[in-house]
Amino acid sequence: MPGDTLITSENDTDIELDFAGVEDFQENHKREKHYGKRRNGDRQQNKRENQRRKRSSKSVQGIREESQSKTERRERSRRRKGKAEHETSGHEGNKRERDQTRAKSTKSKKNIKNEKTRKLEGKEDGEAQEKSEKGKLKLVCAKNEEKIESGDQLKEKEKALGVKKKKKRRKKVVETSSEPETSEDGDDEEEVNNDGEVRPELLSPEELEKLKEAVDEKKKLIQSLRGKPWPMKQKLVTLRESQLFVEKYEGALGKGKGRKLYAYKVMMTKKWMKFQRDFENFKTACIPWEMKIKEIESHFGSSVASYFIFLRWMYSINMILFGLTFGLVMVPEALMGRPYGSIPRKTVPRAEEAGAMDFAVLWDFGGYAQYSVLFYGYYNNQRAIGWFKFRMPLSYFLVGVGTVAYSYMVVIRTMARNANESGIGDDNSFNFSWKMFTSWDYLIGNPETADNKFASITTSFKEAILEEQESRKDDNIHLTRFLRVLANFLVLCCLAGSGYLIYFVVRRSQKFALDGLENHSWWERNEVNMVMSLLGMFCPMLFDVISTLENYHPRVALQWQLGRIFALFLGNLYTFIIALMDAINLKRKEEKVVKYNITMWEASLYNGTGSENSTAPPITIHPADVPRGPCWETMVGQEFVRLIISDTMTTYITLLIGDFLRAVLVRFLNHCWCWDLEAGFPSYSEFDVSGNVLGLIFNQGMIWMGAFYAPCLPALNLLRLHVSMYLQCWAVMCCNVPQERVFKASGSNNFYMAMLLVILFLSTLPAIYTIVTIPPSFDCGPFSGKNRMFDVIQETLESDFPAWFSKVFSYASNPGLVLPFILLMVLAIYYLQSTSKSYKEANVELKKKLQMQNEENKKKNKQAALKAQMDLEEARKSASQTAVHQRNNNDSVQRREDDEEIDNKNQRMYHGRNPSPSVGNREPHFPVRDPGPRNAHNGNHGNPRYLPGFHQQSEPRMCRVPSLERH
Amino acid sequence: MVSPAIALAFLPLLLTLIIRYRYYFVLFYRAVLVRIWKDCVTGLSREERAFQYVLTNSTPGDPDSILDAFDYWSSKVEFISNIGPKKGKILDRLLMEQSPLTVLELGAHCGYSTVRIARALPLGARLYSIEMDQGNAAIAEKIIRLAGFDDDTVELIVNPSDEVIPRLRSDYNLERLDFVFMDHWKKCYLPDLQLLEGYGLLGKGSMIVADNVLFPGAPKFLRYLRKCGLYEWKIHRATLEYSKGIRDGMAELIYQGIK
Repeated sequence: MPGDTLITSENDTDIELDFAGVEDFQENHKREKHYGKRRNGDRQQNKRENQRRKRSSKSVQGIREESQSKTERRERSRRRKGKAEHETSGHEGNKRERDQTRAKSTKSKKNIKNEKTRKLEGKEDGEAQEKSEKGKLKLVCAKNEEKIESGDQLKEKEKALGVKKKKKRRKKVVETSSEPETSEDGDDEEEVNNDGEVRPELLSPEELEKLKEAVDEKKKLIQSLRGKPWPMKQKLVTLRESQLFVEKYEGALGKGKGRKLYAYKVMMTKKWMKFQRDFENFKTACIPWEMKIKEIESHFGSSVASYFIFLRWMYSINMILFGLTFGLVMVPEALMGRPYGSIPRKTVPRAEEAGAMDFAVLWDFGGYAQYSVLFYGYYNNQRAIGWFKFRMPLSYFLVGVGTVAYSYMVVIRTMARNANESGIGDDNSFNFSWKMFTSWDYLIGNPETADNKFASITTSFKEAILEEQESRKDDNIHLTRFLRVLANFLVLCCLAGSGYLIYFVVRRSQKFALDGLENHSWWERNEVNMVMSLLGMFCPMLFDVISTLENYHPRVALQWQLGRIFALFLGNLYTFIIALMDAINLKRKEEKVVKYNITMWEASLYNGTGSENSTAPPITIHPADVPRGPCWETMVGQEFVRLIISDTMTTYITLLIGDFLRAVLVRFLNHCWCWDLEAGFPSYSEFDVSGNVLGLIFNQGMIWMGAFYAPCLPALNLLRLHVSMYLQCWAVMCCNVPQERVFKASGSNNFYMAMLLVILFLSTLPAIYTIVTIPPSFDCGPFSGKNRMFDVIQETLESDFPAWFSKVFSYASNPGLVLPFILLMVLAIYYLQSTSKSYKEANVELKKKLQMQNEENKKKNKQAALKAQMDLEEARKSASQTAVHQRNNNDSVQRREDDEEIDNKNQRMYHGRNPSPSVGNREPHFPVRDPGPRNAHNGNHGNPRYLPGFHQQSEPRMCRVPSLERH
Repeated sequence: MVSPAIALAFLPLLLTLIIRYRYYFVLFYRAVLVRIWKDCVTGLSREERAFQYVLTNSTPGDPDSILDAFDYWSSKVEFISNIGPKKGKILDRLLMEQSPLTVLELGAHCGYSTVRIARALPLGARLYSIEMDQGNAAIAEKIIRLAGFDDDTVELIVNPSDEVIPRLRSDYNLERLDFVFMDHWKKCYLPDLQLLEGYGLLGKGSMIVADNVLFPGAPKFLRYLRKCGLYEWKIHRATLEYSKGIRDGMAELIYQGIK
């Protein structure tokens, strides 16, 4: 047989290994000893049983001995060889004793191995016997047998376990010795599997049958493992081993020709799964910054990570905004529009030409930067540009509208998705259970953070308990209230102060602007931005300090903090916008004057020329010399760009000074300082989630507001986000410490989104207001010469579309049609709203129902248990009385076997005889019954026959998670 | 020239810093400024002033009244870094539970903690107190005698701790220390602990209590504790003595030996 050669070759290596790997052997030996101890007890029983068996089925056994499976035979031969080898090597003095013990143990192991095969047959025997025999004899017999068999089974399992472990270990060693690089687990397993797939071809049908039986046995064992009265560790080990066994040999049991196919299939599924896993990894690697964020999450908890996820999301949105503006506005104008210097709006005026390339000017986005595609004023009002008639003004307008519309859509869609995820959580009920089972953040991978999280969970428990007590006690509420009111008052004062400061600064800057900016220093010119940034940076700190007065839960405190910072930023932003409005009005007044002057200037020009020679061609004036209006749109765009720049700068500088410098000082001054800087006074900074998120949101708001007048804003913002992603990731990992109170960010995501939506709305308001009410400048921008900016749509409709289309459009925009449509939409919204509300109510109802049912089930179970107990007591009493009548009763029991009542009686009788049976022992007393497809948790009480009280329980138990054993 | 508005924008930062670190400012004022001023005015050292106050305001022979006088002086008049009443209670409890027979105190300063420990000791126990500074030691001696503890109970050793510890076994016939209280230089915590280990003065179950491990702080000491695994240890969190807002801790170590 080809198999034999294969086996012997393998054995050879094994033996050599045994010889070499003394340690390995020692360990095996130890384990065997350990098992041996347990086995000794069983052995006597087995002997008894075996003798009995031998009488009845000697011949069968003989056959069996002959036809032992090849695997076992191999095992044996291997062991034998190993033994021999060790005996020969036993000359080495101190090893001898050990070897002898090993030999003994292997012998005993062999015995047991035989018994295992016998046992299988014995079970069948027992069943046959039970079917044939009747009466008391049968009962006793069955009992004994079952007892023995259960013991046997246990032992057999351990046995198989040991054997298999050994086998595996050997295989592992073989592998490592042959190719030491590939000692990974996965490879090992594959090896084992391959073995399992290859081997069955060498087996005879009988052996296959046996193997099948063994696999079935294992499967049964897995299913009924839950009910076994073993320690958890043993259960786990057994489960793992059995699963391995089943996995290994199940593939071998395909039939005939299909076997190979099956093996192939299994192999392919394995490969496919591996590929899928790799592909998942690849996909994760493809998500930008995913690994960075995960690392931060593992160090700082999910609340900090949520900021970075938000940042990434923002980045993706800005990417699209940038794509729109860049692709449809800036690039066409730069490529196809008139070049720089061709018309006045595209040329730096003569007065500014000298310093137009200075860095200070460019940094302020004046000079050449102002007269470029970056700003509104550069664009020409030519209707179509380039060889394929790109409608520039229309595109400009539509992109402006489209970016805002897209942002709305995305934000609302994300909000809706988040709302779905958050579901219906009522935070008030089951407060402690929630805390108990859900407070751990499983993404934490850093011991320090884990410590912090642990501490925060404990404190949260303490606080919750205190809260519970206090809610009952209800004292000191006045003080708390007073403190909270006081805190809010202080915050309001702070807000008012900062608002006034900004107002003051803006007024001053207007004065400066009237004087002429050149006369003032850089500080004074940039005062507004500086003050706004500084206030936006420092006031939140003050709020944070004030909020310690209030003594809120950190999550609530975070929301308050967010709300306050929101108010602050909003106030600042709107002060800024109001100031801008004033500036716009000033510019428009100036524009009127300039317009008048220009007509005068042109008239004088023409008059001057006309007097000399009326037919001469018009004098060409260099576009830099042409007088021009102030172009308020560009001014607005510039202001926003400056604001963004200064904001970014402040953020980065704060990061570098507040976090990095501080961390460096703390780290390196700690050696020579009189107190512990790291743990005590300055310490390292924590990552300020709320401030950063709000900064991001307001930044985005400014982008939305200013993007219409400065198409470069999305590009700038993209740059900023990109840089801050890397910078902040680095700063967080290098100079921040995990928050002392790590809390999960759950639920706050939608809070951020809601704020973003509000900001979006608030930032589109001024933009829309300016677009709708203020006429565009007369000599700059794509809409120059029009009365309003949106006139461009009408113009396009009239000139670019066929007549019928504009007719249809005019009909469609008829108020008689629009109003009903709006009405219909309102109705639809109302309808959807009410349906969703009713769904929510239904959900709540269902939840309540589930809860009720649960409670009822619990009650029922309790009652059943009580009843069972009473029955038991009763049975004990009656058993002592009716000891004489037992046998008669038993007869009747056997006749009506499937009747439950009688089973109960049976049970009682049994209890009468043996007054302290454990639940686990009770199960195998009725070996006739096939345990069947028992559920995991039903192992004990699911089958109503075994426990008298539980046959009432028919409803599914919802509180349990079914089939846990599969995990 | 920076405009006033920008300067005004820094006001919230200033307020924040002042509010957040107010306890540290108060501590700085009390422990440094007041001390310098008083030193100049009276010409006495801080410890001498404290001793004068205690001498006039306490009952001789009554440790409790001496401790109370100290506490009052340190919290109301000036600041002196004793262990303080709150952490002192923890120390008392530990001493009661342990009831050690040989106690070593590193850093007697002006005798407050010495009196505190001696008060809680069982009969027949002996306290060795090490103080480096000559002047402080003289005052500590006076305070200890004032509290009514004689040479048999408390032995004051005037020498730096790193010189005394190697000689403890030879000069003082010490085999094993049951209890060690550390309150001297925070930088010496770790070397002294290692010295104690090295000279085999710690037995299984010996307790070591180290004060001020968080606020002035002994980070190396704590790091060593985390790493070495010789001790079962925990930190009793409290506030700095005579101050409410500064967090501090007392480390309690039980020597387990090498397992």
